[in-house]
Amino acid sequence: MRADSRPPAGRTAYSNVGEIRLVDQLDAVSFLGGRLLLAVVSSTKHTLDRKIRGWLLHEDRARRVAGSRILLGSNGSGEAVELLMLHPDARREPLPEQGQVVLETPEGPVGLEPKIEHVTVSLERLGSNHLAKLDADTRTELLDRLASAVGRQSRGSTEVSQGLRSLRDAVRPRLPHGAVEAAADHAVHVDGLWRISGSSFYIKGWIFVRAADLDHLRLLTPEGCAIDILGDEFRYPRQDVADFFNVSPRERLGFIAYVEAPIESALASGWIIEVGQRHGRRIEAEAPAVVDDPLSVRTMLLQDLQAEQLPSASLRVQHIKPALARLEERRAEGVEIDMIDQLGSPPQAPEVTVIVPLYQRMDFLEQQMAQFVHDPEIRSADLVYVLDSPDQAEYLRSVARELFNLYGVPFRLVILSANGGFALANNVGASLARGRMLLLLNSDVLPDTPGWLSRMIEFYDANPMIGALAPKLLYEDQSIQHAGLYFDRPPGGYVWSNEHYFKGLHRDFPAANLARSVPAVTGACLMISTELYRELGGLRGAYLRGDYEDSDLCLRLHEMGRETWYMPDVELYHLEGQSYPTHERSLTSDYNKWLQTHQWAEELAAQADDGAARIR
Amino acid sequence: MVRMPDNEPCMEESPRRCHECYPDISQQTFFMRKRFIQSHLSLVDMFIAPSQFLADRYIDWGLPEEKVKVEEYGRTSPTGQAVDGQRKCRDRFGFFGQMTPFKGLHVFLEAIAALHGHDDEHTDPLLRALELAAGTTSGTPTAERLGPKPHGRVHGANLDLQPGNFQNQISDLLEQTKDAVTFVGQYDHLDLAKHMSQVDWVVIPSIWWENSPLVIQEAFHFGRPVICSDIGGMAEKVEHRVNGLHFRADDPSSLASIMKEAMETPGLWEQLREGIRPLYAMEDHVKELTSLYRELQRTEAPGHAG
Repeated sequence: MRADSRPPAGRTAYSNVGEIRLVDQLDAVSFLGGRLLLAVVSSTKHTLDRKIRGWLLHEDRARRVAGSRILLGSNGSGEAVELLMLHPDARREPLPEQGQVVLETPEGPVGLEPKIEHVTVSLERLGSNHLAKLDADTRTELLDRLASAVGRQSRGSTEVSQGLRSLRDAVRPRLPHGAVEAAADHAVHVDGLWRISGSSFYIKGWIFVRAADLDHLRLLTPEGCAIDILGDEFRYPRQDVADFFNVSPRERLGFIAYVEAPIESALASGWIIEVGQRHGRRIEAEAPAVVDDPLSVRTMLLQDLQAEQLPSASLRVQHIKPALARLEERRAEGVEIDMIDQLGSPPQAPEVTVIVPLYQRMDFLEQQMAQFVHDPEIRSADLVYVLDSPDQAEYLRSVARELFNLYGVPFRLVILSANGGFALANNVGASLARGRMLLLLNSDVLPDTPGWLSRMIEFYDANPMIGALAPKLLYEDQSIQHAGLYFDRPPGGYVWSNEHYFKGLHRDFPAANLARSVPAVTGACLMISTELYRELGGLRGAYLRGDYEDSDLCLRLHEMGRETWYMPDVELYHLEGQSYPTHERSLTSDYNKWLQTHQWAEELAAQADDGAARIR
Repeated sequence: MVRMPDNEPCMEESPRRCHECYPDISQQTFFMRKRFIQSHLSLVDMFIAPSQFLADRYIDWGLPEEKVKVEEYGRTSPTGQAVDGQRKCRDRFGFFGQMTPFKGLHVFLEAIAALHGHDDEHTDPLLRALELAAGTTSGTPTAERLGPKPHGRVHGANLDLQPGNFQNQISDLLEQTKDAVTFVGQYDHLDLAKHMSQVDWVVIPSIWWENSPLVIQEAFHFGRPVICSDIGGMAEKVEHRVNGLHFRADDPSSLASIMKEAMETPGLWEQLREGIRPLYAMEDHVKELTSLYRELQRTEAPGHAG
C-alpha cells in the first residue's frame, strides 16, 4: 500500500516549496462544499502538529493550504490512519480538484502520493471505505472534531452541513433504537427541537430508564458534533410517560435543555439523542425536524415559562432565559436600516427628536399626523418613525408620502430590514437623532392640545437631576392610564411587577396632579437627553415586546444617580395595547416581570417601599 | 342616532356607548375616529344645519357653538296643485317615505289596524282605551263602536332592501289592513300633486329624530297638515295644533288617538291648514347663504385666505 520514497519527478520547480524528498500515502480525498478538502493518509513516520500547513501543487502553481489534523486512528488491519482537513490559505479561493498535496513537517516537505484526482471519492465512500473500521469511540471523536474544525472554517453553510451529515451517517457507530413499549428497560423520545440561533437549540422530550442511573445523555448534531448534556438538563415529572411505563407519576421523566453546539448547524433534520445507563446498553432515537421560525420558538418558550408543572428557578435561569436572550439577540443581529425616506425638508436645528416605532398597526401614523398638524412644535421637531414590521414597508412608504402631501408635517421614515423589537427600533431612532433631547413616543399616543413638547423640555431642563420624564396619559374615557409607575408584588411573592399609580381614576384626581419623582415611568411617552440615552446604551433588548424596557431604563438611570419624574401638566391619550393579541401579551409580560426581578431584586425591594408609600 | 339593537333614540355619544352598539369596534377606535374627524373639521369656518335640533346634536358632540348656524332648506315649489274637494270627514292619511324601520311605517299601520278593530286580541288594551275615550258601551260590536274609519295610503319603496323580520312585519300589517290601506308603492315626484290630492293628512311616524324631512315641506306646500312623532327635527318643523299634530314617538296607540281626533274634530283640518306658512323659497335661501358667506369673507383672519 505504501508508495516508494523516491522524490517525485519534476516537482523541484516550486522554489518556495523546496525539494520534496519524503512521501506519504494518500488513500482517499473528498471535497466538502468546494473550499474544504478531507484527506485520509496512511502515515507512520512524519511529525504533524494539530495545525498543519502545506501546498497544493497544480499547473506550475503552488497554492498555500492550511488545515487541521483531525485524528489519528487505527484501521481494522492495524494500520495507522490519519484524517486531515485542508483549505486554501487565501480566503476566497476555491481549491482546484487536481494536483499534489505537500505538507510542511519538521523533517521537511512531505508529498502525498498519488495526486488528489486519482483518489477522489464521495464523502460516503471516504467514510465507509476508510474510516468505518476505526473503533467506535474513535469514530465518534473523529466526527466531533471534524465537525468543529469544519465549523470554524465555514459558518453555517447548508452544503457543508449536508456533506458532514453524509460522512457522519457512513461512519458513526449506531446504537439500537429503543422500542417504546411498556415493558422496555429504557426508552427515549424527543418531542421537539427548536432553533434559538445558528448554534443553539432548545430541546424537549422524555427519558425512561428502568431501575438504574442514567449515565449517558448525548445529542448528535447532523454535522456530527457530540454534545453531552447529562446533568445539565432540567428534569420534571411527565405523568403521561409515567402512566405508560407504569411507574410513579413523581418520576421526573421529562427533560428540557437549552444546548449550544460548538459549531453552527444548518440542517433541519438529522439530530440524534443517545441515552444509556450505568453498565447497561445504550439506545438512540431520532429527533423531529428543527422548528426554525423565531416567533413560534418564542411563543413555545413563553408557554414553557407558564407551564404549571415546571418549578421556576432552574428552568428559567439555566434554560429559558439564556434561550430567550439569545433568540432576541439573533433577531437583533440581523436587523439593519434598509432605507430612510425623508418626507419634506428636515427641520433646522431641531431641539428634540421624537421617535415613534411602528409595528403592525399602520393606521396610527395617520391618526398622529391628523393631530400633529395642529402643533407647530411637532412640525419643527425631528420626527422619526421606525418601521419594525418590514413586510409592511411598501405600503407604509406610499401611505407616508400621501400623508405628507396632505398634512405637510415633515418626518423621516426608517425602514428596518427585519423585526427587531421595541428596544431596537427606539435605539435605531436614537442613533439617527439630531435633537439634544429624545422623546420616545408610542404610535398609539395622541396629544390632547398643542404645546406639550416644549412644556416637557422646559420641565426637564429645569431640574438637573432628571434622567427620564413622562407626562400624564389618559384612556379614551378621560381616566388615567399613566401617572408614573411603582413596583409591587403580592405578600410572600417573588416577582415584582410594574404598577400604575391612580390607573382608572379621573384625570382630575388631585393626587395625580402633582409633579414628583417616581420609581419609574412608561416608555409610551418618555423624554430623556440624547446624550444620556446613548451613554446608557439605550433600551435593553432582553425584554420582550415593548414592556419593562422602560422601567429597566429608569432603574439604570437610578443606579447612576438620576431621578425619574412625572409631570401632570402635559396630558396625552394612550390607546394602549391594541397591537398585540392579549394571550401572547400576558405571556411576555410574565417573562418580563420575572426577568426584571431577576436582574434588579435588591433595587426593586428598596424602591418598592418608597413607591408604595406614595400611593396614599 | 338610535341605539342598537332596539332602535331607541340616542341623545349622548361617547366611545363607550358607541362600542356598546357596535361591539366589534373598540372604544379606542371610536375615540380615534372622533379625534380624527374633529381635527379635520377644525379647518371649517362655518357649519350650516337645517334644523336647530341637528345643530344642537353637533354642538353637543363637539362642534364650536359659534361656528354653527341654523338655516332651513330652501325649496323650489313642486309642480301642480292638490285638489282638496269637499269632504264630510277628513279621514285619509298618507305615508310618504322610505320603508325602513326608522321611518316608522309599522307604527302607522298598527294605528290604522287598531282603529279598524283588527287584531282584537293583540290590541285589546288599546281598543279598550279608545272605547273608554269614546264612551261607547260594550254591547255594540267593537268595530262599529269606534266611529269613522281612517283610510291609509302608503307611498314608499325599498321594502325589499330591509331586514327580513321587518319585511315580514310590514307584509303582515299590510295584509291585516288590506281593506283600509292602499299600497301605492314607489312614486314619481312629478305625480306628487296627484298623490297629495288623495290624502288629507300626511303622517310622519319616524322613530328616530329626523333632521328636517323634505316631506314636511311637500305636505305643507300642498296644504296638508302633518301628523308626526314628537321628537327631533319633525317636532321642530311641525307646530303642534298650529299646522299639525304631534303624537308620542313609536307609540301606535298615541297615533291612533291623534288620528281619531283628527277625523272626528270638526274644523280641525281647516284650522291647521290655515296655520301652514308658505314654503321657504329657494331664492331667499340662496340670498341668506350668500350673505353668510360674505360675512365670513369679511371676518376671515388675514393670511387665512388662500
